Amino acid sequence: MIRIKTLAEMKNVVKKFPGVTALSGISFDIRAGEVHVLLGENGAGKSTLMKILSGVHKPTSGEIIISGKTYEYLTPFDSYQNGISVIYQELSVINELSIQENLFIGHLPLKKLGFVNVVDYDEMNSRAKQLLEAVGLNRDPKTFVEELSISEKQQVEIAKALASDSKILIMDEPTASLTNSEISHLFAIVRKLKKQGKGIVFISHKLGEIMAIGDRVTVLKDGGYVGTKSISEVTQDDLVTMMVGRQVAKNYQNPDADFEKETVIFEVKNLSRKDEKVKNVSFKLRKGEILGFSGLVGSGRSEMMNSIFGAEPKSSGEIFIDGHSVKINSPYTAIQYGLAMVTENRRETGFFHNFDIAENISILPFIKDSSLGGVGGLVSGDDEKLWSEEQIKKLNVKCFSPRQLVAELSGGNQQKVILGKWLAAQSRIIIFDEPTKGIDVGSKSEIYALMRSLADEGKGVLVVSSELPELLAVCDTIAVFREGEIVKTFDYRDATEEKIILASTAQKGEG
Amino acid sequence: MNVKNKESSVSFSQLWQRYGTLGILVLLLVILAVLQPQFFFKADTITQILSQSSVNILIALGEFFAILIAGIDLSVGSVVALSGMFTAKLMVGGVAPLLAVTLGIFLGAVLGFLNGVLVNSTGLHPFIITLGTQAIYRGATLIFSNSSAVFGFPPSFTKFMAQRVLYVPVSAIIAFAAALVLAFLTKKTKLGRNIYALGGNKESAWYSGINIKLHTLIVFIISGICSGIAGAVLLGRVGSAEPAAATGFETYAIAAAIIGGTSFFGGKGKIFGVVMGGLIIGVINFGMNLLSVSSTLQQVVMGALIIGSVTLDRFVANRK
Repeated sequence: MIRIKTLAEMKNVVKKFPGVTALSGISFDIRAGEVHVLLGENGAGKSTLMKILSGVHKPTSGEIIISGKTYEYLTPFDSYQNGISVIYQELSVINELSIQENLFIGHLPLKKLGFVNVVDYDEMNSRAKQLLEAVGLNRDPKTFVEELSISEKQQVEIAKALASDSKILIMDEPTASLTNSEISHLFAIVRKLKKQGKGIVFISHKLGEIMAIGDRVTVLKDGGYVGTKSISEVTQDDLVTMMVGRQVAKNYQNPDADFEKETVIFEVKNLSRKDEKVKNVSFKLRKGEILGFSGLVGSGRSEMMNSIFGAEPKSSGEIFIDGHSVKINSPYTAIQYGLAMVTENRRETGFFHNFDIAENISILPFIKDSSLGGVGGLVSGDDEKLWSEEQIKKLNVKCFSPRQLVAELSGGNQQKVILGKWLAAQSRIIIFDEPTKGIDVGSKSEIYALMRSLADEGKGVLVVSSELPELLAVCDTIAVFREGEIVKTFDYRDATEEKIILASTAQKGEG
Repeated sequence: MNVKNKESSVSFSQLWQRYGTLGILVLLLVILAVLQPQFFFKADTITQILSQSSVNILIALGEFFAILIAGIDLSVGSVVALSGMFTAKLMVGGVAPLLAVTLGIFLGAVLGFLNGVLVNSTGLHPFIITLGTQAIYRGATLIFSNSSAVFGFPPSFTKFMAQRVLYVPVSAIIAFAAALVLAFLTKKTKLGRNIYALGGNKESAWYSGINIKLHTLIVFIISGICSGIAGAVLLGRVGSAEPAAATGFETYAIAAAIIGGTSFFGGKGKIFGVVMGGLIIGVINFGMNLLSVSSTLQQVVMGALIIGSVTLDRFVANRK
C-alpha cells in the first residue's frame, strides 16, 4: 500500500457573491500523484472553486490547508509560493515572446555583467530544453510562441508550470480544442507528471476522457458538493446521475401539441462549413414548435447559427423558408428573409452602447426597409417613437424612457431591447443563442414565456443553450450536437438530462 | 449620439454637452475683446476669423466621419493640395472655373475612394493606410506640379471667392452649407444612422445587416469630397496653388473634431460641435496674431489649448 500524501485540502469552502451563493460548503483535496477530476455542468462552481485555490477569489468562509499550514484565504502570491499553477482554457502564453522567455517570465535566470544583472540566455536556453523535453515538445526554445499550434502552446503552459516547480497543476478543460492525437499526447504528459508525484486537477465535461485519465472524481451541482468517488468504482451513468437534477420552476410546452402534422416553416439541408465546425447538418422546424440545440461548448452550434444567418460563410447547404429555397450570404439578406439572431454576447454583438433604447430598436426596421442595400432612405422620428414604445410595452422593458441608454439597463432588459429590434423588423424566424446568459432568474422566466408566445404566434424559434434545464423547460424538440453533427434528436417528453449528456459527451464510435 | 440622463430636468453636464463648445468660443471672444478692444471691435474681425477658419472647418467635417467610425484620415492635407493643384492647372489651362472646381472635388472623392478601398481590402487600420496615402498624394502633387506653384487664376474665380455677404465671406458660406448638408445626413438619413452604429459597435452593426465595407468606403469618400472642396476654397484665399499647401492641416482638422466633442473611440459626435471646434481654433489663431504672439510660440499655445479644452470637456461631462 502506497502512503497517501495530501498536497492541498479545501474544507467547507463557501463563496457568496452579491445575490448568489456560488459555493455552499465544498470540500476538496488533491493528493500527490493523482488526477482528481472536477465535474459539473456550466455554472456548477468548478471555476470559482479553482479560483479560490489560485488566489483570485477570497472565500466567504472555510479553510485551505497546504503542507500543514492553514489559510483563511490565499493571495495569488501564496498560491504561487505553494506551487499551484493553473492552465486556463484561454491560454495565457504571450505570443510575441519566445518559448524560453515565456517559460521564465517573472523569474528570468540572471548573471552579473560588471555591476548589473543581465538575463543569462545560455542558462535559460539549457533549462528550457530540459523542460520542453519533459513535456515532449520538440521545438527550439527560441521559437516565437505565435508560430505554435494550440496544443503546443498548451505544452508550453505545462512546461511553464514545471519551471516554477509547481506541485499542483489545475487544468481547465484542457482538451476542449485539441484533436484526438493531441489529446492522447496530452494524456501521456499527464501520466508522466503523475509519476513524478504532481497532483493534477482536471476539469472536463467529456465523460469518456474522465474515465480514461482520472483517479478520483468530485462532482459539483449548483455550487453544492455532490460527492467524491474513485473512478474505478463509478460508471459514466453514475456520473451523469450525480451531475443532473436541477429544476426550472415550470415547463413552457403545451403537452397536447403534435407538430408532426404542422407545416414546415424553416428547413436546413446538408449545411457544412469549410472549417469543419459544422458537418452536413439538416433539420426541420414546424409551425409553433421551439427547436433547441444542446451540446458541449465548441460543438459547433453557434457556428451553425452564424452560417445560417449569413454572418459567417458556409461551404455548402440549402435553407428553406416556407418551402422556398433562399440564398443567404450576409446578415442583410438574412434580415430581408425575416431571419433574426439574438446573439450570445449582448455587449459585443448585440446592442449599440452609443445608442438609446429607441435607436437600438429602430435600427433594424430602418435597415430592413431601406433602399440601396441598407444605405438609402431617411430616418423618421415618428416611426422610431412608435416602434420603440410598442416593443417596450410588449416586452415589458423596465426603463425610464425610450431615450435611456441601453448600457444602463439590466442584462434581462438589454436582452429584451435586442429582441425588440428584431420584432420591430417583423422577423419570422428567430435564433436565440444562449438567450439567458448572465440574466437573473426573474427575467429568465419572462424570456422563456416570450419565446413560447412567439412560437404560438407562428414564428419559428430556434434556441442554442448550454443550460439543459432551460432547453428541457422551453423546447418541444431538442437536437444534440457533437463535433459539428446532430447525433440525436429528442422529443422533450422523452428527453432527460442524463440522455442528453450521454449523447453529447460520448466519444466517437460509442452511443 | 443621444446622451440623455434619467432626470427630465436638464443638468449642468447636459447643458455643457450640448452647448459647452459654444461657451468656450464665446469665452475666447470675450477675452480677446477685453485684451484688445481697439482692434477687436472692427468690422472685419468676424470676416477674418471666418475666412481663416473655413478651410479647416471643411477638412474637419470630413475628418469627423473618419473618426466617427473609430478610424482616422491623415491624408486630408495632401488631398487638399492635390485636388487644389488639379483645379488650378485646369483653370490656368482655360477650363471654366465652375467645371474645374467640380472636377477638383471629384478628384478628392476619387482619392477618398482609394483610401476606402485600401482600408477594406487590406484590413489595416485607417491610420496606417492614410499615413501611406498622405505621402503618396503629396508626392503626386509634387510630380504633377513639377514642384512649382501655379497662379494667375481667371478673375471670375478670384472675384467670386473674394465676395462677402454682410460680413460673411464666400468661403465660410461654403463651409456652413457643407456643414448643413452633413448635419442633415447625420441626423435624418439611414446612412448617417448606420455610420454611428458602425462606429459604436462594428460587430453589432454587422449582425444588424449593415454592410461594413460599403459604409467605410462612403465615409472616406465623404472625407475626400470635403478636402476637395477645401482645396478649391484654399485656392481662392491664397490666390495660388502651392505644392506644399495644407501640409499638417490634418492636425488642425483632428483637433477641431475632438474639441467639438467627437469621441476618438467612435460612434459619438456632432457636426455642430465640429463647426464650433473649427471656429475655436480660428479664434485662437486670430487672437494670437492680434496679440502679436510669435508664430513659434503660437504652436505651443495651440497644442496646450487642444489638450486643455478636451480635458476640461471630459472633466465637466463626467461631473454628475
